[in-house]
Amino acid sequence: MIGRDLYDLRTRLRRNGIVLCYSGSMNEAVLSGIGQALKQKMAVDRAGIGIARRVFGVFVEQMQNMIRYSAERQPALPPAGTRDLRYGVIAIGQGDGGFVVEAGNLVRRADVPELRRHLEQIRDRDRRELLALYKRQLRAGLADPGSEAGVGFIEIARRASRPIEFGFVEVDEQFFFFTLRAEIRSVEPLQP
Amino acid sequence: MTTFHLPATDRTPEVAFDFAGHHLRLSGESYPEDAASFYAPVFAALDEYLRRLDGGGACRFDIELIYFNSSSAKILMILLERLDRAAGRGAAIDIYWHYEEDDDTMEELGGEFGEDVEHARFHLVRMAPTDGG
Repeated sequence: MIGRDLYDLRTRLRRNGIVLCYSGSMNEAVLSGIGQALKQKMAVDRAGIGIARRVFGVFVEQMQNMIRYSAERQPALPPAGTRDLRYGVIAIGQGDGGFVVEAGNLVRRADVPELRRHLEQIRDRDRRELLALYKRQLRAGLADPGSEAGVGFIEIARRASRPIEFGFVEVDEQFFFFTLRAEIRSVEPLQP
Repeated sequence: MTTFHLPATDRTPEVAFDFAGHHLRLSGESYPEDAASFYAPVFAALDEYLRRLDGGGACRFDIELIYFNSSSAKILMILLERLDRAAGRGAAIDIYWHYEEDDDTMEELGGEFGEDVEHARFHLVRMAPTDGG
């Protein structure tokens, strides 16, 4: 029956508390559009300013990481200067405890060890250390733009309420599916 | 140039530089697609103004950003360095870093960035509550 699969997907997302989900081609316009909907949703739900800014900040960095670095991509058509399309998934969950922002995209097998090491270092730092690391990486980026890679991950970790979580699922010989999850807790339960 | 102005968009801040009044202001949100190219003309105008302040001018710079991404954070670091250097050359510069009540991420970052400002005066200011927009 037409619609059944999509309804099942929606039901599964709902059951997992996912209030917003996008899977497919990503570019900066997608970021803008989903970002506006997310802001409006948090305003309507009367999420506090602190939590709304954190969720939005994590969302933007997650999206921009995928737009810049997802290994699943299609080259752009002319005119020159148009960026490639990148593929990824973003899901935002909402519950009594706050929000979860989870992103997933393909990464090359060869890049997994370093990415994992980098994320482990970020995950294991406390707030104070993250702030110092953030500043250090930004400063390093001023001298050498290539060295600022990963500053988005630090931004995500700074805004998350708990240590970031991540995983790598083997897809084939070339690729792994990389997931990064950040939880943002509200101090008080959100209004229904 | 006596003023430099860019209206706010969804993803870029309002830039209001009143050079004649020596009051410069960045406000709103900053997460442009390409931060370097958005800020290039802003820095061009600022640099020209700061050169004219050398040896004894005074100005006030308000940073009233409610949100900026990590690429914009790098730009703000450059901005603070430029202002601090101008202050080191003799200008009296006051930098006000505004943050929203409840937004400890921004408050912390202001504190951290402010530590590196040596010659200008750096002030952390809590903004009045807004409707959350």
